[in-house]
Amino acid sequence: MLLTLFANPAARAGFNASRRLTPKLDARKRLRIAEGVSLWLAVLMMLFVHPLYAEASEGNEERAGQLYLMDGQSSWQQPALVLDSDFKVQVSGLLAQTRLTRSFKNTSDQWQEGVFVFPLPEKATVYGLEMTVGERRVVGRLEPKAQARKTYDKAKAAGQHAATVEQQRPNMFTSRIANIPPGETVRVDIRYQQPVSYRHGEFELRLPTTLTPRYMPGETIADAPKHWQSGWATPTDQVPDAHEISPFTVRADDVSPQSHRATIALDIESGFPLAEVTSPSHSLHTNIDGTRATVTPEGDRVLMNKDVIVRWRALAGREPAAAVFHQQWQGQDFLMAMVLPPESTGPVLRRELQFVIDTSGSMAGESMVQAREALLRGLDTLRPGDYFNVIQFNSQAHALFTQPVPAERHYLARARHYVHNLQADGGTEMTGALSLAMSMNRAPVEALVQQMVFITDGAVGNESALFEKIRQGLNERRLFTVGIGSAPNMHFLREAARWGRGEYTAIHNSGEVNQALKKLFAAMEAPVLTDLEVRWPSEGSESNPVPSKPGDLFLGRPLVQVIQGVPAAGELDVSGKLPGGRRWSTRLNLNHAAPATGLNRHWARGQIDELMDTARLDGESPDQARIIRLSMAHRVMSPFTSFVAVEEQPVRPAAENLESEQLPTLLPAGSRSGMLRYPQTATFWPLFSALGLVGLMFALAVAMLNRRATA
Amino acid sequence: MSRFLVLLTSASLIVLMFGLWIPFKALVAQELLEQAWSESQAQQTEQRPWPWADTWPVARLELPEFGVSMIVLEGGHGESLAFGPGRVFGGEHGPLILAGHRDTHFRHLQNVQPGNQLRVQDQSRRWQEYEVTDVAIVDSRTEAIDTHQLPQDSVLLITCYPFDTLDARGPLRYVVKARPTTQKGPNNAVAIL
Repeated sequence: MLLTLFANPAARAGFNASRRLTPKLDARKRLRIAEGVSLWLAVLMMLFVHPLYAEASEGNEERAGQLYLMDGQSSWQQPALVLDSDFKVQVSGLLAQTRLTRSFKNTSDQWQEGVFVFPLPEKATVYGLEMTVGERRVVGRLEPKAQARKTYDKAKAAGQHAATVEQQRPNMFTSRIANIPPGETVRVDIRYQQPVSYRHGEFELRLPTTLTPRYMPGETIADAPKHWQSGWATPTDQVPDAHEISPFTVRADDVSPQSHRATIALDIESGFPLAEVTSPSHSLHTNIDGTRATVTPEGDRVLMNKDVIVRWRALAGREPAAAVFHQQWQGQDFLMAMVLPPESTGPVLRRELQFVIDTSGSMAGESMVQAREALLRGLDTLRPGDYFNVIQFNSQAHALFTQPVPAERHYLARARHYVHNLQADGGTEMTGALSLAMSMNRAPVEALVQQMVFITDGAVGNESALFEKIRQGLNERRLFTVGIGSAPNMHFLREAARWGRGEYTAIHNSGEVNQALKKLFAAMEAPVLTDLEVRWPSEGSESNPVPSKPGDLFLGRPLVQVIQGVPAAGELDVSGKLPGGRRWSTRLNLNHAAPATGLNRHWARGQIDELMDTARLDGESPDQARIIRLSMAHRVMSPFTSFVAVEEQPVRPAAENLESEQLPTLLPAGSRSGMLRYPQTATFWPLFSALGLVGLMFALAVAMLNRRATA
Repeated sequence: MSRFLVLLTSASLIVLMFGLWIPFKALVAQELLEQAWSESQAQQTEQRPWPWADTWPVARLELPEFGVSMIVLEGGHGESLAFGPGRVFGGEHGPLILAGHRDTHFRHLQNVQPGNQLRVQDQSRRWQEYEVTDVAIVDSRTEAIDTHQLPQDSVLLITCYPFDTLDARGPLRYVVKARPTTQKGPNNAVAIL
C-alpha cells in the first residue's frame, strides 16, 4: 500500500506544490520545510487514501452464502476455464440421441487440466466420446475404468491432449480434459441416448444441466486417498466416493458471463401427428410440421441452473397405444415394444398413507415451498376411512403422530399446521426416516392398502444403500416418490419407486404441483395391471428381454420392453390382471415394426442394470467381467468402463507446469446455498507494525552511527 | 544524510501508525459498539453504531476463561471484521458461524481448548452457554463450510491460521466448534467441514 502511495502522481504533485510556496528562504531551510510539508501531506493523503482503498477492495469481499473459487492466495478468482455446452437432441420414437458438445476454453496463461462433474439423464447410455483440438479430431476408446484412468494419466503426464469420461452414478459423470493450452479451446463431444418417458398421453424429455449438492451420510474417513480429488466433500464410510461426486456449487455471476451456458436444439420425430410442444421449465421456440418438430429454448443460450424439460403430445385421439421398433445390429435382431394398459379403475380401497417429507438443507428455498404444497395436496386426497401420518426428516426423523391416525378433521388440521411450519435445514439422513416409517405400528384396522409417499430432492450420496433398505423393509407397502426442485436426483426417485413397487413423479415449479400430484394420486389408487406376462414369439434361450420382470403397471404408464434375438415377425402377447381380478390381454403384430437405431445400446444398458440388480439382490459384488464384456461389445459405458481419447503427439513442453481446475456447477435455480467459504480473517497490522519498527530501529542505528562519526 | 534519516523515520512511523491503527480501531470500535448494542437490546431493532456503518451489532460473545467479551457484528466482510467479530451465517435458524481477525478480536482463540466455555447473548438478552467440542485447522482452498450439515445448535468460530505469521492472506483457517451445554443434543452428526 505504501508503494501505491509513492507511485501515486498526486502525492508527487504535493512535493512540487509545496516547493513553490517558499521561494524567499534559503535553499537548505527551504528543503527542510518542503520535506516536512510533503511528508505531512503524504500522511494526510494516506489517511484519505486508506478508506478509499478499503472501499475499493470491499467489492471483492465475500457475501454470506456464497462460494468463491480461491487461488493459492485465498483471494477471489473466476474459473480459468470457460465452459460452453451444446445439446443436439434427435428424438425418434421412444429414444432420444444426444450429441453433447462441451468446449473448455482456457483463459489463463497456464496449461490447464479441466475436471467437470456433470449430470446426464437418469437412464442415459453413453456411447461415444470425441475430442477436438483445432482441426484435429480424436475418437475415444472404451476401456475398463482402471485402465482408462491409467491411459489418461499417462497421456496427461506426457503432455498429450487427452479426455476421459467416467460414470460415478447412473446419472452422474466426470469428464477430465488434460493439457488445454493457454488461450485455446478443447472440445469434447459426448454421445448418449435416453428413453423418452411416456405417461398419461404425454411424452417427456429431461436434460439435466446441474446438480443439487448431495448430502454424504456417515463418518469421515480420515486417511482417504487424495488422488483424483475433485469435490468439497470428504469420503465417508457410507459414501466412499463423496469427493468425486461433490463439485463446488457457485452462483451464475461467480463464473464468466460466457461460461455455464448451453445451447439446446431438439429435433423430434414423434411418429404421430403432434398437437403441441411445451416446457414447464423454459419458454420454447417450436416449429411443428406434422409428426416432426424442431425446438429451441428462447433466448439462445440458457443458464445451466435447472433441468430442461420438453413435453409433447399427440393430436387428441391420435395418442399411440402401442408401438414396435426393430433394428438389425451386427446380424442380430433387436425389438422394442410399447403397450399401454387399459384405462380401468377398480373399487376404491381404503388406505394407510404415510407422507415422508425431506426437510434437509438442500431443500431450502423454493423446493421447500413446493414440498409443503405437495404434502398439503396429498392431505386433501384423504377420504374418510383412510389413515395417515406425516414424517419429516433432516438430520433426524420426526413423526407427527406415534401411529397412523384416521383422516378426521382435527387430525388433518393438526397435520396442516405441522406442514405449514416445516423448515428446511440440516442433513439428509434418509435411512433413519425410512426405518421410522417402516417400523411404525400399523393402523388398528384390517385390510388397508399401505402406501408411502416420499417427497424429496434425492440429494444423497448413498443411493444404493437406500434402495437396499427400501427393498428389505417395505413388506406390503408401496413407495411413491415425488421429486422436488430445479435439479432433483431423478435416478434416486425413479429407482426408489421401482424398488418400492410404486410410481414416481417430479414437480418443476409451484404452478405444477396440483397437476403432477393429481396424476400421481390417481395412479396410486391401484395398479392397473398386475401379474404381468409378456410372451415374445419364438422366445429361445438366446433372447433375454429387459426389463426381464416388468413390475406392476400404473394408470397411464406403458410397458416398454426391448429384446435381443427375436426377428420382426409373429405376435407379441401381453396379459395381466386388472384391479377387479379379471384378466386382460392384448396382441401386438410385430411385422409392422418401424425401423429404429440405438435399440441394441438400450438393451445392453438394460442388461447391465439387471446384472447390477441381481448382484444387489444376492448381496454380492456385480459380475464385473460380464458387464465389461457387454459394455465393450455394444460400445456403451458402464460403471466399470470409461471412454478415453488420447492425441498421439505431445503438445505441452516438459518445462511447462500443468494446473488442474475443478469446474463448479451452478446452484440450482430457486435453491439457497448452504456452502460457505472461509472468510479472510487476518489483518496487515502485524506486518505493518513490524515493518515500521524495523524501519525505526534502522533509522535510530544510522542516527547513532552518525552522531558517533561527528563527535 | 539527515534527510535520509528523516525520510526513513517518518516513513517507518507512517507504516507503524497504519499498523497500530488497525488494533486501535478494533479496540475503540468495541467501546462504541457497546452503546449501539445496549440500544438495540432496549429497542429490539438493528442499531447502526454510526450513521454510515455497513453493519450493526447482532450478539455478544464471551470467553469467560479468558475474560474476553466482545460485540459481534453482522457480516463476514472486511468492514465489519475491522470493528468486531462478524456473523457470517446463522441467526434464527441454523448454526451460528462467527469470524474474527486472528490478530485482533480472535487472538485468544489460539489458547482455546476443547472443554472451554463460551457464551453468546442475543438481542433479547438471553444467554446461551456453549462448550468447545473440537478445534480444527482447515485449508480454505479445498474446503468449504456446509451449513446444512452442521448441527443446528452449534457455534463455529473461524479465524486465520497460523496465529503468529505476518502473511495476512494465508489459506489456512482455525475453526473452533462448540455445542450448547444447557441442552445437550446427541452429537452424532459430525460436521464435514
